[in-house]
Amino acid sequence: MLQLIIGILIFGLTLGTILVRPYRISEALAAAVGAVLMLLAGILPFTQALQVLKGEWNIYGFFLGLMTISAVADRAGIFNSLAAQAGHWAGGSVRRLYLAIFIIGALITAFLSNDATALILTPAVFALVTRLRVPALPFMFACTFIADTASFLLPVSNPINILVLDQFGGGLGIFLHYLVLPALFCIVLNTTLFLWLFRADLRRTYAIKDLPPAAPPDLSFFRFTLAALGIIAVAFVLASVFQVPLSLVALGGAVLLLVGARRSSHLEWKRLGKEISWSLFIFISGMFLVIQGVENLGLTGLFGGSLMRLAGSSPLRAVLFTAAGSALGANLINNVPMALVMISALRAINASAPANLGLVYATILGCDLGPNLTTVGSLATILWLLILRRKGLEISSLEYFKLGILVVPLMIAAGAILIWLVR
Amino acid sequence: MRILCAIGQSDGPQIIQRLANMLGNQHEIYLLHVLDPGPRLGLEEYLHNPGPVQRRRALPLEKTQALDAAEQSASQAVLAEAIEAAQSAGFSVSGEIQRGKPEQMIVQTARTWRSQLIAIRASEGTQGRPQIGPASVGHTARFVLDHAPCDVLLLRGP
Repeated sequence: MLQLIIGILIFGLTLGTILVRPYRISEALAAAVGAVLMLLAGILPFTQALQVLKGEWNIYGFFLGLMTISAVADRAGIFNSLAAQAGHWAGGSVRRLYLAIFIIGALITAFLSNDATALILTPAVFALVTRLRVPALPFMFACTFIADTASFLLPVSNPINILVLDQFGGGLGIFLHYLVLPALFCIVLNTTLFLWLFRADLRRTYAIKDLPPAAPPDLSFFRFTLAALGIIAVAFVLASVFQVPLSLVALGGAVLLLVGARRSSHLEWKRLGKEISWSLFIFISGMFLVIQGVENLGLTGLFGGSLMRLAGSSPLRAVLFTAAGSALGANLINNVPMALVMISALRAINASAPANLGLVYATILGCDLGPNLTTVGSLATILWLLILRRKGLEISSLEYFKLGILVVPLMIAAGAILIWLVR
Repeated sequence: MRILCAIGQSDGPQIIQRLANMLGNQHEIYLLHVLDPGPRLGLEEYLHNPGPVQRRRALPLEKTQALDAAEQSASQAVLAEAIEAAQSAGFSVSGEIQRGKPEQMIVQTARTWRSQLIAIRASEGTQGRPQIGPASVGHTARFVLDHAPCDVLLLRGP
Protein backbone atom coordinates (compact mmCIF):
# COMPACT_ATOMS: atom_id res chain seq x y z
CA MET A 1 0.00 0.00 0.00
CA LEU A 2 2.82 2.36 0.98
CA GLN A 3 4.61 1.54 -2.26
CA LEU A 4 1.43 2.32 -4.21
CA ILE A 5 1.16 5.73 -2.56
CA ILE A 6 4.85 6.45 -3.14
CA GLY A 7 4.51 5.35 -6.77
CA ILE A 8 1.52 7.61 -7.34
CA LEU A 9 3.40 10.48 -5.70
CA ILE A 10 6.46 9.96 -7.94
CA PHE A 11 4.27 9.74 -11.05
CA GLY A 12 2.28 12.85 -10.06
CA LEU A 13 5.40 14.78 -9.16
CA THR A 14 7.11 13.92 -12.47
CA LEU A 15 4.10 14.86 -14.58
CA GLY A 16 3.43 17.95 -12.46
CA THR A 17 7.01 19.15 -12.94
CA ILE A 18 6.82 18.56 -16.69
CA LEU A 19 3.55 20.46 -16.82
CA VAL A 20 4.40 23.41 -14.57
CA ARG A 21 8.20 23.49 -14.99
CA PRO A 22 8.94 25.27 -11.70
CA TYR A 23 12.24 27.20 -11.76
CA ARG A 24 12.36 26.26 -15.47
CA ILE A 25 13.40 22.70 -14.57
CA SER A 26 13.82 20.85 -17.85
CA GLU A 27 11.45 18.02 -18.72
CA ALA A 28 14.43 15.73 -19.20
CA LEU A 29 15.62 16.34 -15.65
CA ALA A 30 12.11 15.84 -14.25
CA ALA A 31 11.74 12.53 -16.10
CA ALA A 32 15.21 11.36 -15.07
CA VAL A 33 14.60 12.18 -11.39
CA GLY A 34 11.23 10.41 -11.58
CA ALA A 35 12.90 7.32 -13.00
CA VAL A 36 15.61 7.32 -10.32
CA LEU A 37 12.97 7.69 -7.60
CA MET A 38 11.03 4.73 -9.05
CA LEU A 39 14.24 2.67 -8.86
CA LEU A 40 15.08 3.84 -5.32
CA ALA A 41 11.57 3.11 -4.10
CA GLY A 42 11.95 -0.44 -5.31
CA ILE A 43 8.92 -0.11 -7.59
CA LEU A 44 11.06 -0.71 -10.64
CA PRO A 45 13.79 -3.36 -10.36
CA PHE A 46 17.08 -2.32 -11.92
CA THR A 47 17.22 -5.31 -14.25
CA GLN A 48 13.73 -4.55 -15.55
CA ALA A 49 14.73 -0.94 -16.11
CA LEU A 50 17.66 -2.05 -18.25
CA GLN A 51 15.41 -4.40 -20.16
CA VAL A 52 12.85 -1.65 -20.84
CA LEU A 53 15.49 0.72 -22.16
CA LYS A 54 17.05 -2.01 -24.28
CA GLY A 55 13.65 -2.85 -25.73
CA GLU A 56 13.16 0.71 -26.99
CA TRP A 57 16.26 0.87 -29.21
CA ASN A 58 14.07 1.36 -32.28
CA ILE A 59 12.68 4.66 -31.08
CA TYR A 60 16.09 6.00 -30.03
CA GLY A 61 17.55 5.10 -33.41
CA PHE A 62 14.58 6.57 -35.20
CA PHE A 63 14.81 9.91 -33.39
CA LEU A 64 18.56 10.13 -33.93
CA GLY A 65 18.38 9.18 -37.59
CA LEU A 66 15.49 11.44 -38.38
CA MET A 67 16.92 14.48 -36.63
CA THR A 68 20.15 14.00 -38.58
CA ILE A 69 18.30 13.60 -41.89
CA SER A 70 16.29 16.78 -41.24
CA ALA A 71 19.40 18.74 -40.23
CA VAL A 72 21.35 17.72 -43.36
CA ALA A 73 18.34 18.31 -45.63
CA ASP A 74 17.99 21.76 -44.12
CA ARG A 75 21.70 22.42 -44.66
CA ALA A 76 21.32 21.45 -48.32
CA GLY A 77 18.60 24.07 -48.65
CA ILE A 78 15.75 21.64 -49.31
CA PHE A 79 13.24 23.43 -47.09
CA ASN A 80 14.05 26.93 -48.35
CA SER A 81 13.97 25.69 -51.91
CA LEU A 82 10.58 24.01 -51.45
CA ALA A 83 9.17 27.20 -49.95
CA ALA A 84 10.56 29.25 -52.85
CA GLN A 85 9.19 26.75 -55.38
CA ALA A 86 5.79 27.09 -53.77
CA GLY A 87 6.09 30.84 -54.27
CA HIS A 88 6.85 30.40 -57.96
CA TRP A 89 4.08 27.85 -58.43
CA ALA A 90 1.48 30.06 -56.77
CA GLY A 91 2.28 32.81 -59.29
CA GLY A 92 1.45 35.76 -57.05
CA SER A 93 -1.71 34.44 -55.43
CA VAL A 94 -1.41 34.31 -51.64
CA ARG A 95 -4.30 31.85 -51.53
CA ARG A 96 -2.51 29.43 -53.85
CA LEU A 97 0.70 29.88 -51.88
CA TYR A 98 -1.21 28.98 -48.72
CA LEU A 99 -2.53 25.84 -50.36
CA ALA A 100 0.95 24.94 -51.63
CA ILE A 101 2.40 25.29 -48.13
CA PHE A 102 -0.27 22.94 -46.81
CA ILE A 103 0.65 20.37 -49.47
CA ILE A 104 4.40 20.71 -48.87
CA GLY A 105 3.86 20.58 -45.11
CA ALA A 106 1.79 17.41 -45.44
CA LEU A 107 4.44 15.74 -47.63
CA ILE A 108 7.34 16.71 -45.37
CA THR A 109 5.42 15.51 -42.33
CA ALA A 110 4.46 12.26 -44.03
CA PHE A 111 8.05 11.30 -44.89
CA LEU A 112 10.25 13.26 -42.50
CA SER A 113 7.88 13.44 -39.51
CA ASN A 114 6.08 16.27 -37.83
CA ASP A 115 9.10 17.94 -36.25
CA ALA A 116 10.70 18.65 -39.61
CA THR A 117 7.61 20.63 -40.60
CA ALA A 118 7.03 22.36 -37.27
CA LEU A 119 10.64 23.32 -36.65
CA ILE A 120 12.35 23.61 -40.02
CA LEU A 121 9.63 24.39 -42.55
CA THR A 122 8.00 27.01 -40.30
CA PRO A 123 10.99 29.40 -40.20
CA ALA A 124 11.66 28.82 -43.92
CA VAL A 125 8.08 29.76 -44.79
CA PHE A 126 8.19 32.66 -42.35
CA ALA A 127 11.25 34.06 -44.11
CA LEU A 128 9.56 33.61 -47.49
CA VAL A 129 6.32 35.37 -46.58
CA THR A 130 8.22 38.16 -44.82
CA ARG A 131 10.13 38.74 -48.05
CA LEU A 132 6.90 38.68 -50.03
CA ARG A 133 5.26 41.12 -47.61
CA VAL A 134 2.46 38.73 -46.87
CA PRO A 135 0.96 38.37 -43.35
CA ALA A 136 2.97 35.70 -41.58
CA LEU A 137 0.48 34.51 -39.00
CA PRO A 138 -1.80 32.40 -41.22
CA PHE A 139 1.30 30.68 -42.58
CA MET A 140 2.63 29.94 -39.13
CA PHE A 141 -0.69 28.38 -38.28
CA ALA A 142 -0.59 26.36 -41.50
CA CYS A 143 2.89 24.93 -40.82
CA THR A 144 2.41 24.18 -37.17
CA PHE A 145 -1.03 22.63 -37.66
CA ILE A 146 -0.26 20.51 -40.69
CA ALA A 147 2.73 19.10 -38.77
CA ASP A 148 0.26 17.45 -36.41
CA THR A 149 -2.65 16.94 -38.78
CA ALA A 150 -0.61 15.02 -41.35
CA SER A 151 1.30 13.05 -38.76
CA PHE A 152 -0.69 9.84 -39.04
CA LEU A 153 -0.45 9.48 -42.80
CA LEU A 154 2.39 6.96 -42.45
CA PRO A 155 4.06 5.24 -39.48
CA VAL A 156 7.13 7.43 -40.04
CA SER A 157 5.14 10.67 -39.87
CA ASN A 158 5.32 10.93 -36.09
CA PRO A 159 7.63 9.18 -33.58
CA ILE A 160 4.54 8.56 -31.43
CA ASN A 161 3.27 6.20 -34.16
CA ILE A 162 6.44 4.14 -33.84
CA LEU A 163 6.20 4.08 -30.04
CA VAL A 164 2.71 2.63 -30.33
CA LEU A 165 3.34 0.33 -33.28
CA ASP A 166 6.46 -1.14 -31.65
CA GLN A 167 4.15 -2.56 -28.99
CA PHE A 168 1.22 -3.70 -31.07
CA GLY A 169 2.84 -4.54 -34.39
CA GLY A 170 0.90 -4.33 -37.61
CA GLY A 171 2.30 -3.52 -41.02
CA LEU A 172 1.62 -0.61 -43.30
CA GLY A 173 -1.54 -2.30 -44.59
CA ILE A 174 -3.27 -2.28 -41.22
CA PHE A 175 -1.96 1.21 -40.45
CA LEU A 176 -3.38 2.59 -43.67
CA HIS A 177 -6.58 0.61 -43.26
CA TYR A 178 -7.28 2.42 -40.02
CA LEU A 179 -5.68 5.79 -40.54
CA VAL A 180 -5.48 6.77 -44.21
CA LEU A 181 -9.08 7.96 -44.36
CA PRO A 182 -8.95 9.88 -41.08
CA ALA A 183 -5.60 11.39 -42.13
CA LEU A 184 -6.81 12.56 -45.54
CA PHE A 185 -10.09 13.77 -44.11
CA CYS A 186 -8.36 15.75 -41.34
CA ILE A 187 -5.89 17.30 -43.81
CA VAL A 188 -8.69 18.42 -46.12
CA LEU A 189 -10.75 19.66 -43.18
CA ASN A 190 -7.80 21.54 -41.71
CA THR A 191 -6.87 23.14 -45.03
CA THR A 192 -10.44 24.12 -45.91
CA LEU A 193 -11.18 25.59 -42.49
CA PHE A 194 -7.98 27.63 -42.46
CA LEU A 195 -8.54 28.89 -46.00
CA TRP A 196 -11.91 30.12 -44.81
CA LEU A 197 -10.73 31.42 -41.46
CA PHE A 198 -7.89 33.50 -42.91
CA ARG A 199 -9.75 34.32 -46.14
CA ALA A 200 -9.41 38.08 -45.75
CA ASP A 201 -5.64 37.89 -45.43
CA LEU A 202 -5.30 35.42 -48.26
CA ARG A 203 -7.17 37.57 -50.76
CA ARG A 204 -3.97 39.47 -51.54
CA THR A 205 -1.31 39.07 -54.15
CA TYR A 206 2.46 39.33 -54.00
CA ALA A 207 5.04 40.42 -56.55
CA ILE A 208 6.92 37.57 -58.24
CA LYS A 209 10.03 39.79 -58.35
CA ASP A 210 10.18 39.70 -54.54
CA LEU A 211 10.65 35.92 -54.57
CA PRO A 212 14.05 34.68 -53.43
CA PRO A 213 16.02 32.62 -55.97
CA ALA A 214 14.92 28.98 -55.87
CA ALA A 215 18.44 27.76 -56.64
CA PRO A 216 20.23 26.38 -53.56
CA PRO A 217 23.77 27.47 -52.63
CA ASP A 218 25.40 24.17 -53.70
CA LEU A 219 23.44 22.60 -56.53
CA SER A 220 25.21 19.23 -56.62
CA PHE A 221 24.85 18.71 -52.84
CA PHE A 222 21.21 19.79 -53.15
CA ARG A 223 20.55 17.27 -55.93
CA PHE A 224 22.29 14.52 -54.01
CA THR A 225 20.25 15.27 -50.89
CA LEU A 226 17.02 15.39 -52.86
CA ALA A 227 17.76 12.01 -54.45
CA ALA A 228 18.77 10.55 -51.09
CA LEU A 229 15.55 11.83 -49.52
CA GLY A 230 13.59 10.14 -52.31
CA ILE A 231 15.37 6.86 -51.59
CA ILE A 232 14.80 7.26 -47.84
CA ALA A 233 11.08 7.95 -48.40
CA VAL A 234 10.69 4.80 -50.50
CA ALA A 235 12.71 2.83 -47.96
CA PHE A 236 10.45 4.06 -45.15
CA VAL A 237 7.38 2.85 -47.02
CA LEU A 238 8.95 -0.52 -47.85
CA ALA A 239 10.19 -0.96 -44.28
CA SER A 240 6.66 -0.27 -43.04
CA VAL A 241 5.25 -2.86 -45.44
CA PHE A 242 7.74 -5.56 -44.44
CA GLN A 243 7.81 -4.50 -40.80
CA VAL A 244 11.53 -3.79 -40.76
CA PRO A 245 12.40 -1.49 -37.82
CA LEU A 246 12.16 2.09 -39.09
CA SER A 247 15.17 3.12 -37.06
CA LEU A 248 17.35 1.11 -39.45
CA VAL A 249 16.08 3.14 -42.39
CA ALA A 250 16.39 6.41 -40.48
CA LEU A 251 19.96 5.66 -39.37
CA GLY A 252 20.91 4.28 -42.78
CA GLY A 253 19.47 7.38 -44.44
CA ALA A 254 21.33 9.60 -42.00
CA VAL A 255 24.62 7.85 -42.79
CA LEU A 256 23.97 8.19 -46.54
CA LEU A 257 23.33 11.92 -46.17
CA LEU A 258 26.32 12.40 -43.88
CA VAL A 259 28.58 10.73 -46.42
CA GLY A 260 27.20 13.02 -49.12
CA ALA A 261 27.63 16.07 -46.88
CA ARG A 262 31.19 15.08 -46.12
CA ARG A 263 32.02 14.63 -49.78
CA SER A 264 30.63 18.06 -50.55
CA SER A 265 32.43 19.53 -47.51
CA HIS A 266 29.16 20.47 -45.85
CA LEU A 267 29.62 18.31 -42.80
CA GLU A 268 30.19 20.18 -39.54
CA TRP A 269 29.92 17.79 -36.61
CA LYS A 270 29.76 20.54 -34.02
CA ARG A 271 26.91 22.22 -35.76
CA LEU A 272 25.10 18.96 -36.38
CA GLY A 273 25.49 18.10 -32.71
CA LYS A 274 23.75 21.33 -31.81
CA GLU A 275 20.82 20.60 -34.08
CA ILE A 276 20.09 17.28 -32.40
CA SER A 277 18.04 17.52 -29.26
CA TRP A 278 20.07 15.26 -26.96
CA SER A 279 17.98 15.94 -23.88
CA LEU A 280 15.09 14.27 -25.69
CA PHE A 281 16.77 10.89 -25.19
CA ILE A 282 16.98 11.48 -21.44
CA PHE A 283 13.36 12.64 -21.41
CA ILE A 284 11.95 9.60 -23.20
CA SER A 285 14.18 7.19 -21.25
CA GLY A 286 13.00 8.71 -17.98
CA MET A 287 9.40 8.51 -19.10
CA PHE A 288 9.76 4.85 -20.20
CA LEU A 289 10.95 3.98 -16.70
CA VAL A 290 8.42 6.09 -14.79
CA ILE A 291 5.52 4.63 -16.77
CA GLN A 292 6.93 1.10 -16.33
CA GLY A 293 6.93 1.75 -12.58
CA VAL A 294 3.30 2.83 -12.74
CA GLU A 295 2.52 -0.26 -14.78
CA ASN A 296 4.23 -2.45 -12.18
CA LEU A 297 1.87 -1.02 -9.59
CA GLY A 298 -1.07 -2.04 -11.76
CA LEU A 299 -2.26 1.53 -12.23
CA THR A 300 -2.24 1.64 -16.02
CA GLY A 301 -4.02 -1.74 -16.05
CA LEU A 302 -6.74 -0.21 -13.88
CA PHE A 303 -6.89 2.74 -16.27
CA GLY A 304 -7.27 0.39 -19.24
CA GLY A 305 -9.98 -1.53 -17.42
CA SER A 306 -11.91 1.61 -16.59
CA LEU A 307 -11.57 2.75 -20.18
CA MET A 308 -13.20 -0.49 -21.30
CA ARG A 309 -15.96 -0.20 -18.68
CA LEU A 310 -16.60 3.39 -19.67
CA ALA A 311 -16.94 2.33 -23.26
CA GLY A 312 -19.32 -0.44 -22.20
CA SER A 313 -20.60 -2.41 -25.12
CA SER A 314 -20.24 0.39 -27.65
CA PRO A 315 -17.10 0.18 -29.81
CA LEU A 316 -17.79 3.68 -31.16
CA ARG A 317 -17.80 5.10 -27.66
CA ALA A 318 -14.57 3.23 -26.87
CA VAL A 319 -12.82 4.66 -29.94
CA LEU A 320 -14.12 8.18 -29.29
CA PHE A 321 -13.12 8.08 -25.62
CA THR A 322 -9.67 6.72 -26.44
CA ALA A 323 -9.01 9.34 -29.13
CA ALA A 324 -10.37 12.26 -27.10
CA GLY A 325 -8.71 11.07 -23.89
CA SER A 326 -5.34 10.65 -25.62
CA ALA A 327 -5.65 14.10 -27.18
CA LEU A 328 -6.51 15.75 -23.89
CA GLY A 329 -3.74 13.88 -22.10
CA ALA A 330 -1.25 14.77 -24.82
CA ASN A 331 -1.96 18.40 -24.03
CA LEU A 332 -1.96 18.07 -20.30
CA ILE A 333 1.13 15.94 -19.81
CA ASN A 334 2.85 16.03 -23.21
CA ASN A 335 2.30 13.46 -25.92
CA VAL A 336 5.15 11.02 -25.17
CA PRO A 337 4.10 10.21 -21.58
CA MET A 338 0.45 10.11 -22.66
CA ALA A 339 1.22 7.65 -25.44
CA LEU A 340 3.19 5.52 -22.98
CA VAL A 341 0.33 5.51 -20.46
CA MET A 342 -2.11 4.53 -23.22
CA ILE A 343 0.22 1.80 -24.53
CA SER A 344 0.51 0.34 -21.06
CA ALA A 345 -3.27 0.52 -20.51
CA LEU A 346 -3.97 -1.02 -23.91
CA ARG A 347 -1.51 -3.83 -23.23
CA ALA A 348 -3.49 -4.66 -20.11
CA ILE A 349 -6.70 -5.09 -22.08
CA ASN A 350 -5.10 -7.10 -24.88
CA ALA A 351 -5.49 -4.41 -27.52
CA SER A 352 -3.74 -6.51 -30.17
CA ALA A 353 -6.94 -8.55 -30.47
CA PRO A 354 -8.68 -7.57 -33.72
CA ALA A 355 -11.75 -6.32 -31.85
CA ASN A 356 -9.64 -3.85 -29.88
CA LEU A 357 -7.19 -2.82 -32.59
CA GLY A 358 -9.26 0.28 -33.34
CA LEU A 359 -8.31 1.56 -29.89
CA VAL A 360 -4.61 1.38 -30.77
CA TYR A 361 -5.16 3.55 -33.81
CA ALA A 362 -7.49 5.86 -31.90
CA THR A 363 -4.60 6.37 -29.46
CA ILE A 364 -2.29 7.30 -32.34
CA LEU A 365 -4.93 9.69 -33.68
CA GLY A 366 -5.43 11.36 -30.31
CA CYS A 367 -1.74 11.63 -29.39
CA ASP A 368 -0.83 12.94 -32.87
CA LEU A 369 -3.63 15.47 -33.27
CA GLY A 370 -3.85 16.52 -29.64
CA PRO A 371 -0.79 18.80 -29.66
CA ASN A 372 -2.66 21.05 -32.09
CA LEU A 373 -4.61 22.23 -29.07
CA THR A 374 -1.36 23.20 -27.37
CA THR A 375 -0.32 24.94 -30.58
CA VAL A 376 -3.53 26.94 -30.48
CA GLY A 377 -2.76 27.67 -26.86
CA SER A 378 0.83 28.72 -27.34
CA LEU A 379 0.27 30.59 -30.59
CA ALA A 380 -2.81 32.17 -29.07
CA THR A 381 -1.08 33.60 -26.07
CA ILE A 382 2.11 34.52 -27.84
CA LEU A 383 0.87 35.77 -31.14
CA TRP A 384 -2.67 36.81 -30.60
CA LEU A 385 -1.77 39.22 -27.87
CA LEU A 386 1.46 40.27 -29.53
CA ILE A 387 0.49 40.76 -33.12
CA LEU A 388 -3.16 40.50 -33.95
CA ARG A 389 -4.38 43.42 -31.90
CA ARG A 390 -1.49 45.59 -32.90
CA LYS A 391 -1.39 44.83 -36.59
CA GLY A 392 -5.13 44.63 -36.91
CA LEU A 393 -5.10 41.28 -38.62
CA GLU A 394 -8.49 40.38 -39.94
CA ILE A 395 -9.50 37.79 -37.44
CA SER A 396 -12.05 38.51 -34.78
CA SER A 397 -11.64 36.99 -31.36
CA LEU A 398 -14.75 34.92 -31.96
CA GLU A 399 -13.27 33.42 -35.10
CA TYR A 400 -10.07 32.72 -33.27
CA PHE A 401 -11.96 31.01 -30.50
CA LYS A 402 -13.67 28.86 -33.11
CA LEU A 403 -10.29 27.82 -34.40
CA GLY A 404 -9.22 26.28 -31.13
CA ILE A 405 -12.58 25.12 -29.92
CA LEU A 406 -13.86 23.82 -33.22
CA VAL A 407 -11.10 22.65 -35.52
CA VAL A 408 -9.17 20.31 -33.25
CA PRO A 409 -12.09 18.47 -31.58
CA LEU A 410 -13.82 18.30 -34.96
CA MET A 411 -10.80 16.58 -36.48
CA ILE A 412 -10.50 14.18 -33.53
CA ALA A 413 -14.20 13.28 -33.58
CA ALA A 414 -14.28 12.82 -37.36
CA GLY A 415 -11.07 10.79 -37.29
CA ALA A 416 -12.36 8.56 -34.48
CA ILE A 417 -15.65 7.93 -36.28
CA LEU A 418 -13.75 6.98 -39.44
CA ILE A 419 -11.59 4.56 -37.45
CA TRP A 420 -14.74 3.05 -35.99
CA LEU A 421 -16.29 2.74 -39.46
CA VAL A 422 -13.37 0.84 -40.97
CA ARG A 423 -12.60 -1.34 -37.95
CA MET B 1 3.83 71.41 -44.94
CA ARG B 2 5.96 68.70 -43.34
CA ILE B 3 4.00 65.48 -43.63
CA LEU B 4 5.03 62.30 -41.90
CA CYS B 5 3.65 59.45 -43.90
CA ALA B 6 3.38 56.11 -42.08
CA ILE B 7 3.51 53.33 -44.63
CA GLY B 8 2.72 49.67 -44.19
CA GLN B 9 3.88 46.62 -46.10
CA SER B 10 2.26 47.41 -49.41
CA ASP B 11 0.19 50.60 -49.19
CA GLY B 12 2.92 53.23 -49.70
CA PRO B 13 2.09 54.19 -53.32
CA GLN B 14 -1.67 54.39 -52.63
CA ILE B 15 -1.13 56.68 -49.65
CA ILE B 16 1.12 58.96 -51.70
CA GLN B 17 -1.42 59.08 -54.51
CA ARG B 18 -4.21 60.03 -52.16
CA LEU B 19 -2.10 62.71 -50.49
CA ALA B 20 -1.24 64.17 -53.88
CA ASN B 21 -4.91 64.21 -54.86
CA MET B 22 -6.02 65.77 -51.59
CA LEU B 23 -3.27 68.25 -50.78
CA GLY B 24 -1.26 68.68 -53.96
CA ASN B 25 2.45 68.03 -54.18
CA GLN B 26 3.91 71.20 -52.68
CA HIS B 27 4.84 69.50 -49.44
CA GLU B 28 7.79 67.86 -47.81
CA ILE B 29 7.15 64.19 -47.16
CA TYR B 30 8.94 61.94 -44.71
CA LEU B 31 8.19 58.27 -45.33
CA LEU B 32 8.37 56.06 -42.28
CA HIS B 33 8.15 52.29 -42.42
CA VAL B 34 8.36 50.57 -39.07
CA LEU B 35 9.48 46.99 -38.94
CA ASP B 36 7.45 45.37 -36.21
CA PRO B 37 9.54 42.74 -34.38
CA GLY B 38 6.35 41.20 -32.98
CA PRO B 39 5.78 38.41 -35.53
CA ARG B 40 9.45 37.45 -35.44
CA LEU B 41 9.44 37.30 -31.65
CA GLY B 42 6.33 35.18 -31.88
CA LEU B 43 8.09 32.75 -34.20
CA GLU B 44 11.16 32.53 -31.98
CA GLU B 45 9.00 32.05 -28.91
CA TYR B 46 7.09 29.30 -30.71
CA LEU B 47 10.30 27.53 -31.70
CA HIS B 48 11.50 27.68 -28.12
CA ASN B 49 8.27 26.25 -26.82
CA PRO B 50 6.37 24.51 -29.58
CA GLY B 51 4.25 22.24 -27.44
CA PRO B 52 5.51 18.67 -27.26
CA VAL B 53 8.88 18.40 -25.57
CA GLN B 54 10.64 16.63 -28.42
CA ARG B 55 10.17 19.63 -30.68
CA ARG B 56 12.19 22.09 -28.67
CA ARG B 57 15.31 23.19 -30.51
CA ALA B 58 17.08 26.52 -30.83
CA LEU B 59 16.97 28.49 -34.06
CA PRO B 60 20.40 28.18 -35.71
CA LEU B 61 22.32 31.38 -36.40
CA GLU B 62 21.97 30.86 -40.12
CA LYS B 63 18.17 30.91 -39.79
CA THR B 64 18.29 34.09 -37.78
CA GLN B 65 20.41 35.66 -40.50
CA ALA B 66 17.99 34.45 -43.19
CA LEU B 67 15.11 36.02 -41.31
CA ASP B 68 17.07 39.27 -40.91
CA ALA B 69 17.78 39.30 -44.64
CA ALA B 70 14.13 38.66 -45.49
CA GLU B 71 12.98 41.48 -43.23
CA GLN B 72 15.57 43.83 -44.63
CA SER B 73 14.76 43.01 -48.23
CA ALA B 74 11.03 43.46 -47.62
CA SER B 75 11.35 46.78 -45.82
CA GLN B 76 13.78 48.17 -48.38
CA ALA B 77 11.34 47.25 -51.13
CA VAL B 78 8.54 48.98 -49.21
CA LEU B 79 10.53 52.17 -48.85
CA ALA B 80 11.89 52.13 -52.40
CA GLU B 81 8.39 51.72 -53.86
CA ALA B 82 7.01 54.58 -51.80
CA ILE B 83 9.94 56.89 -52.56
CA GLU B 84 9.53 56.25 -56.25
CA ALA B 85 5.80 56.96 -56.06
CA ALA B 86 6.41 60.17 -54.10
CA GLN B 87 9.10 61.38 -56.50
CA SER B 88 6.95 60.77 -59.53
CA ALA B 89 4.08 62.60 -57.84
CA GLY B 90 6.46 65.56 -57.46
CA PHE B 91 6.89 65.61 -53.69
CA SER B 92 10.12 66.49 -51.97
CA VAL B 93 10.73 63.21 -50.19
CA SER B 94 12.97 61.45 -47.70
CA GLY B 95 12.39 58.43 -45.52
CA GLU B 96 13.68 55.72 -43.26
CA ILE B 97 13.07 52.27 -41.88
CA GLN B 98 12.80 51.84 -38.14
CA ARG B 99 12.39 48.85 -35.93
CA GLY B 100 10.06 48.79 -32.95
CA LYS B 101 6.44 49.19 -31.99
CA PRO B 102 4.95 51.04 -34.98
CA GLU B 103 2.62 53.27 -32.99
CA GLN B 104 5.39 54.51 -30.71
CA MET B 105 7.92 54.97 -33.47
CA ILE B 106 5.48 57.02 -35.53
CA VAL B 107 4.65 59.38 -32.67
CA GLN B 108 8.30 59.69 -31.70
CA THR B 109 9.41 60.42 -35.26
CA ALA B 110 6.65 62.97 -35.70
CA ARG B 111 8.05 64.77 -32.67
CA THR B 112 11.73 64.65 -33.65
CA TRP B 113 11.13 65.48 -37.31
CA ARG B 114 8.68 68.22 -36.21
CA SER B 115 6.01 67.11 -38.60
CA GLN B 116 2.92 69.24 -39.06
CA LEU B 117 0.74 66.38 -40.19
CA ILE B 118 0.80 62.61 -39.86
CA ALA B 119 -0.87 60.64 -42.65
CA ILE B 120 -1.83 57.13 -41.60
CA ARG B 121 -4.18 54.40 -42.78
CA ALA B 122 -7.05 53.53 -40.43
CA SER B 123 -5.80 49.98 -40.49
CA GLU B 124 -3.16 48.26 -42.54
CA GLY B 125 -5.08 45.41 -44.03
CA THR B 126 -8.52 46.83 -44.61
CA GLN B 127 -9.85 43.79 -46.43
CA GLY B 128 -12.46 42.21 -44.23
CA ARG B 129 -12.43 45.08 -41.78
CA PRO B 130 -15.45 47.35 -41.51
CA GLN B 131 -14.91 50.72 -43.19
CA ILE B 132 -16.57 52.55 -40.33
CA GLY B 133 -17.48 51.69 -36.78
CA PRO B 134 -15.57 50.77 -33.64
CA ALA B 135 -13.42 48.09 -35.29
CA SER B 136 -12.48 50.22 -38.30
CA VAL B 137 -9.46 51.95 -36.73
CA GLY B 138 -6.60 49.59 -35.95
CA HIS B 139 -4.44 49.64 -32.87
CA THR B 140 -1.59 51.59 -34.45
CA ALA B 141 -3.76 54.35 -35.93
CA ARG B 142 -5.76 54.63 -32.71
CA PHE B 143 -2.59 55.11 -30.66
CA VAL B 144 -1.31 57.72 -33.11
CA LEU B 145 -4.63 59.60 -32.93
CA ASP B 146 -4.38 59.65 -29.17
CA HIS B 147 -0.73 60.60 -28.86
CA ALA B 148 0.27 62.54 -31.98
CA PRO B 149 1.96 65.91 -31.34
CA CYS B 150 0.35 67.33 -34.50
CA ASP B 151 -2.69 66.95 -36.75
CA VAL B 152 -3.49 63.51 -38.06
CA LEU B 153 -4.95 62.64 -41.44
CA LEU B 154 -6.73 59.31 -41.11
CA LEU B 155 -7.04 57.57 -44.45
CA ARG B 156 -9.95 55.21 -44.73
CA GLY B 157 -10.69 52.47 -47.19
CA PRO B 158 -8.34 50.51 -49.41
